[in-house]
Amino acid sequence: MKLKRLLALLMAFGLSAAACGGSGSDEAASDGGSEETDAGGDETTTSAAPTEEAPEAAAEILTDFGVTDTTIRVGLNADLSGPFAALVSEIVDAQTAYWEFVNDNGGIAGRMVEPVIIDSGYDTAKGIENYEIMAQESDEGVIMISENTGSPITAAIAEDAADDNMLLIPLSWASLWPDPDIGAAVIEKQITYCAESMNGVAWLKEKVESEGGEAKLAIISRPGEYGEDGAAGAEIAAEELGIEVVYDGVGAVAGDDRTAVISELVGSGATIVWTVVTPGELADIFGGAVSQGFEAVWSGNGPSFSYPVLLATDLAPDFDKYYWQSGYAAPWKGNDSEGMNELVTEMTARRGEKNLSDQYITGWMEGMIVKTILEQAAANGDMTRAGVVAASQEVTVDFKGLSPNQSWGGDYNDIIVRESYIYDVDATAFDLQPINAGTGGTGLIVEEGPYTSDLLSTYQFDGPCI
Amino acid sequence: MAVGRPLLRTSYDEDASIFPSTFQKSMVGFALFWMLLACLGVSPFDAPFTALLGATWLNPMTKTLAFAIVALGLNILVGMTGQVSLGHAFFMGTGAYAAVVLGGDGDTAKACVPFHEQLGILDRTQDCGLGLPIWIWLPMAGVVASLIGILVAPAAVKVRGLYLAIVTVGLVFIGLHLGRMLPEYAGDFESGRRWPKLEFRFWKEETPLVDFTSNGKWFGFLEVTEEQKQFLLIFVILLFFIVLAKNLARSRTGRALQAIRDRDVAAEVMGVPEFQYKRTAFAISSFYAGIGGALFASYTGRVSPIDFGLLLSVDFIAILLIGGAGTIAGTLMGTAFVELLPDLVERFTGWLSGKTVSNGPIGWFANILLTDGTAGNFGPISTSATAPGWPMSTFQWNFVIFGLLIVIFLIFEPLGLYGIWLKFKSYWKGWPFSY
Amino acid sequence: MIAVSLLGSPILASAGATFIQTLTKSIALGCVYALVALGFVLVFKASQVLNFATGGIAMAGAIFMSILIADRGFPFLPFTNPLAPAVGETASVPLWMLHVAIAMMFAALLAVVLERVAIRPLVGQPLFALAVVTLGLEVAITPFNRDATAVSSRSLGVPWKTNSWEVAGAIIPKSYLAAAVAAAIGFAAILLFYRSRLGVAMRAVAFDQEAAMAQGINVGRVFSISWALGASVAALGAIMFGMAPFPPGGAVSQEVHTILAFRVLPVIILGGLDSVMGALYGGLIIASFEVFAGEYLSGYSNILGPGYSTIVPYVVMLIVLLVKPYGLFGTAEIRRV
Repeated sequence: MKLKRLLALLMAFGLSAAACGGSGSDEAASDGGSEETDAGGDETTTSAAPTEEAPEAAAEILTDFGVTDTTIRVGLNADLSGPFAALVSEIVDAQTAYWEFVNDNGGIAGRMVEPVIIDSGYDTAKGIENYEIMAQESDEGVIMISENTGSPITAAIAEDAADDNMLLIPLSWASLWPDPDIGAAVIEKQITYCAESMNGVAWLKEKVESEGGEAKLAIISRPGEYGEDGAAGAEIAAEELGIEVVYDGVGAVAGDDRTAVISELVGSGATIVWTVVTPGELADIFGGAVSQGFEAVWSGNGPSFSYPVLLATDLAPDFDKYYWQSGYAAPWKGNDSEGMNELVTEMTARRGEKNLSDQYITGWMEGMIVKTILEQAAANGDMTRAGVVAASQEVTVDFKGLSPNQSWGGDYNDIIVRESYIYDVDATAFDLQPINAGTGGTGLIVEEGPYTSDLLSTYQFDGPCI
Repeated sequence: MAVGRPLLRTSYDEDASIFPSTFQKSMVGFALFWMLLACLGVSPFDAPFTALLGATWLNPMTKTLAFAIVALGLNILVGMTGQVSLGHAFFMGTGAYAAVVLGGDGDTAKACVPFHEQLGILDRTQDCGLGLPIWIWLPMAGVVASLIGILVAPAAVKVRGLYLAIVTVGLVFIGLHLGRMLPEYAGDFESGRRWPKLEFRFWKEETPLVDFTSNGKWFGFLEVTEEQKQFLLIFVILLFFIVLAKNLARSRTGRALQAIRDRDVAAEVMGVPEFQYKRTAFAISSFYAGIGGALFASYTGRVSPIDFGLLLSVDFIAILLIGGAGTIAGTLMGTAFVELLPDLVERFTGWLSGKTVSNGPIGWFANILLTDGTAGNFGPISTSATAPGWPMSTFQWNFVIFGLLIVIFLIFEPLGLYGIWLKFKSYWKGWPFSY
Repeated sequence: MIAVSLLGSPILASAGATFIQTLTKSIALGCVYALVALGFVLVFKASQVLNFATGGIAMAGAIFMSILIADRGFPFLPFTNPLAPAVGETASVPLWMLHVAIAMMFAALLAVVLERVAIRPLVGQPLFALAVVTLGLEVAITPFNRDATAVSSRSLGVPWKTNSWEVAGAIIPKSYLAAAVAAAIGFAAILLFYRSRLGVAMRAVAFDQEAAMAQGINVGRVFSISWALGASVAALGAIMFGMAPFPPGGAVSQEVHTILAFRVLPVIILGGLDSVMGALYGGLIIASFEVFAGEYLSGYSNILGPGYSTIVPYVVMLIVLLVKPYGLFGTAEIRRV
C-alpha cells in the first residue's frame, strides 16, 4: 500500500505530524464490556452464539497487556489523514464493522474486542509515536496491531515490534514481510507484490500469445520498495518465461511529469505492460500512451489500479479495452462463497448507507486473521503478546472463500501465498451505490481466480525479491 | 540594577545581559527544573504533560525539541535577517544525510544499505556509511548544511523578498530529486534507511560509552528509560543552541543582521557588508537546521527523502509566525504549539466524544460539535474517524484548524504567542492600574 | 484533418510526428500553466499579495463544476441542476462551456469572500505576512477539497472525452486545442478588461495605492475584483488541466490538482510576479522545457535520475533569476534607503 506519498508531501496542506491520542472507538468497550465477566454473550441481541471458550475459561487465560477479563484491545496504526486516507478509512471502517459483528456474537473468549484506532497520517515519526502508545506495558496498550499502514512505518517499527513481541500485520504486500528472518512478529497477508507480478506477467503472456501476438514486456514502476518489489517479480517472470523486456522502466515513474516514461514506452513496441505505480500515475501514463495510439495489453499490481479513481474518468472505455486488473481477493459480490455472503449481509446491516467498495473485503479479512489468531491464543490459554505471536504460527486462517486460506508457519516458500486474482475491467458495470441499495458494482469482474500460474506454482524463492 | 524599576538599565552590561531581571532568571531556572523533574517522571511535575499528551508524552516532546533547534535557526534567517526561506526542509535533510553518511555503521554496513538488507535478509552489502561516532557526525551535520547554505547565499543577495521565498522552494524539489537519484546514500525513496543511533562512542568500539537507546542506570542510582535519555540529550543540545542564539543577537553580527533586515541598503551605506552578513546568516541558520535534522532523523531512527518535503518548510514558517517572528521565546512557544496542537486537538475530541451522552453544558457542547450518526448529535466532526465524506474526521479537521490558526494569528495577533505573552505581562505589570 | 478515435490503429510516430506531438503538448500544458499563473499575477498586481490559496480556490471551482455536471446537483443543497445533461449523456459543447463559466463564478465568489474576511484586515502589513495568510488559507481549504475528491475521481463531463485529430501522422487530442482556446480567451479578456474604466482603476491601484485612493478610486472594490478575476482564470486553468490526456484523464483529481499551484510557481517567477504577458510567456517557456526535456532526454534517464523533467522548471527558474532577479518581465523594485 504505497501510493501517492510524494504527491502528498508536495501539498502544503498541513503538519508533518497529524494526530495522536486515544480516539479509539470506546463504544465497543462501554457497550458490552461491563456485563461480560460472568455472562459471556448473554447481553448481546443478535444470534447470541457464545464461542466455545466458556467464561470460566477466561479466568484461566494468561494475559499481559491489552487484554482484561472483559476486553481485548487491538491496535490500528492507520493513515486516516494522509495520502491513503480514502482507502484506509474504508478498510478501518470494515474492520470496525467486523468487530461489531464479532462482539454481537459473543466476542473472543468471552471478551469484547475494542479497536484502538490512531492516525499516522503516513508520517514515520508519528507512526512510531503511535506505536509507542500502543506498546505501553499497561492496560493502555494493545495486544497486537491488526493494521499498520504502509511499509515505511512498518520498517521503522519492525525491530521494536520483535523486541516487544507485538504481532504486526502491515497493510503492505512487500515480499519482505513473510520472511521468517524478520521475525514472527510481522505477518503478511495474501500474495506478495513480487509473486503477484509473476502471476500477472505469466497471464499476460498467455493472453497475448493466445491471440496470436508475441509477448514483449514493458515494466513501469515507481521508486521505493513497492515499485521495486513488483518490478522484481515481473523481471523474474520475464527471465523464466523467456519474455523480451523491451522497456525496463523500474523506478522511472517519479516526480510530476511523466513525458519521458510515456515517450520511452510508446517507442518501445511493447505488447504487454506491467505497471507498479499509483492510480494517478497510471492515469497519466496510460492516458498519455493511449492518446498517442499505443496499443498493448496492460496490467499491474493491485495498488496501480483503483476503480473509483479511474473508471470515473474519460479514460474508462480505454481501461475497459486494454487493462486487466490483478488483485488479492474476490471483489465485492464477486463470488458466492460463505465469507462473501456473510460480509455482504453484515455490511448491509451495519454500514448500509456507505457506498460499496472492495476495500471492505481487505478490512474484513484483517479482522478474520486477528480473530483466528486470538482464538487460537485463547485456546492455548496464553493471551499474552508472546502467546499471540506463537499462536500466529499455528493457525490457518479460513477466509471462507474471500481469498485463499493462509498460514504463517514454516519457511519462506511455505508462507508465500501463490494465488492471485485477475479481473476484467468492465466500465459499464461500474456504478457505485450505497450498499443497502443492493445494486451497483465496482466494474471488476473476476476473469480468473484464484489463479496460480505454472511458473509460480513451482517457483522456489531464495527469499524476498528485493 | 535599580530596585523597583525593572526596566531601568544603569550599565551597558545590564542592557546586553541575557536575562535582564532576577525574576526572569529565576523563572527560567524554575522552568528548567520543572522540565527535568517532569522528564524523570516525578509527580506532580509531569502531571500537566500526561494530562495533555498522554502517558507517552516524551515521544512527541522529544521530536518537538529537535524541531525547535531548526526553528531557532530559521528565526535567525527570517526573524533576525529578514530573508524568507521556504527551503529549510532541504537544509534539514542535508544535515540528516551528512549524519547518516558519516555515522552510518560502515563496519557491518548495517546502517547504510537498503532497509530489507538491514533486516538481515540478504547478504548484499553496500558501504556508504563511515561509522564515525556522534561527536563527529553531529557537528559535521551542521557544518555540511552550513556549507550548502553558504552556496545558496549569493542567490539571496541577488533575489529578494517573495522571489527568494519561491527560489528556496526550488531547493526543496531539487533535494527530493537528489534523494531519488542517490539511493545508496538516501536509502529507499519511501522507506528510507536506518540512522546512526544516539550513542556516544570514543571511536568505533563495540560498547558505547553512553548509550541513549536503551533503558539503564545513570550515576549508579538513577533509573532512566530510553525515552528519558533521548529527551535529556536533545534538551541539553537545545539549551546550548538557545544560549548561542541569544548571544548572537547581542553580538556585532546580530546587530548587523538586524540592520540588514530593517533596511539592507541603509545597512550597507553604514558599512555593514550585505553579502558577507547574509552569507553568515545563511551559514548559521543552515547549521542549526543541519543539527536539528540530524537529531530528528536519528531520534526517529528511519526517515526517507520525502520526509524533507515542502510541507516541513511550511511547518517552520508557521512556527515562526504563530510564535512571533524575531524572538527566541516566541520561536520555542511556536514550535511547541504547532507540533503538539494536533495531539491536543485529537485528545480533546477523544475526551469530548465520551461526553456526548452526559447532560449539562459539556454534553450539550459535545452534541453540537460531534456526530457519530446517532440521533441527538449532529456536529461537523465525525467521531467514527473512519469514513471519508462529510462530516470530516478529527484528523482532517486538524489541518483546517492549523490553517485557520495561521490566518487568525496574523489577523488578530501579528506578534503571535509572544505578543499574547507581552500583553499578559504588561497587564500584570501595571495591575491594578491599567496604564 | 481527420477525426479519429483514440482507439485507432497503432501508429509508429515518425520523428516529425513526435516533434509535432511534443510541441502541441507543450503549448497546451503551457496554456494551462499560464492560466493558473495569471490567477496569481492578477491578484499580485492589484493587492501585492502572492496568493498561495490560488490552487485551493481553483480546485474548489473545478469540484463545483463536477458536482454541477456529473452529479447534476449542488453541493450541500438538495436541488438538482436544471441545466445538466440527462443521465448517461454528455453535455453539448456550449452547455459545457456554460458550466465552466458558472464554476469560474463560484471560484470568484469564494475568492471574494476569502479576500474580504482574511486579507482586507491585513492591508498594509508586510508582503510576507500576507503571503503566509494565503498559505494558511490554502492549508485550510485543502482538506475540504481532498474530502470532496476522496475515494473517487470527480468527472468533469468533458464533451470530447479523449477524442483527437491526426495531423501528418501526429495525434493531437482535442483537449489541447481547448486549452489553447481557453488561454487565448482568458488573456484576451484580461487585456481588454485592463482597457476598461475599471481596468484602468486597477492599474492605477497597482501603480500606487495611495495616489489611486486620493483620486477617488475605491481600492477595496478593486481588490475584490482582482481576486475574483484571478480566481476565475485559475479555476479555468484547473478545469482545462482535468481534461484527458492531461494526468487526471477528464476528472478533478486529488493527486494532481492539489499540487497544480506549486507546479506553477516557477512560471510566475520566470514571468515576473506582476506581468500579465509574463505569465503567458513564462507558462509556454516552462512547459516547453519540461515537455521537450521529458521527450528528448528520456534516453539519459539513468544519468539525470528518474522524474528529472519535474525539476527542469526549477532549474530554469534558478538560472533565469540569477541573471534577471525580477523574472523576465517583472518590474524591478526600486530600492531606496
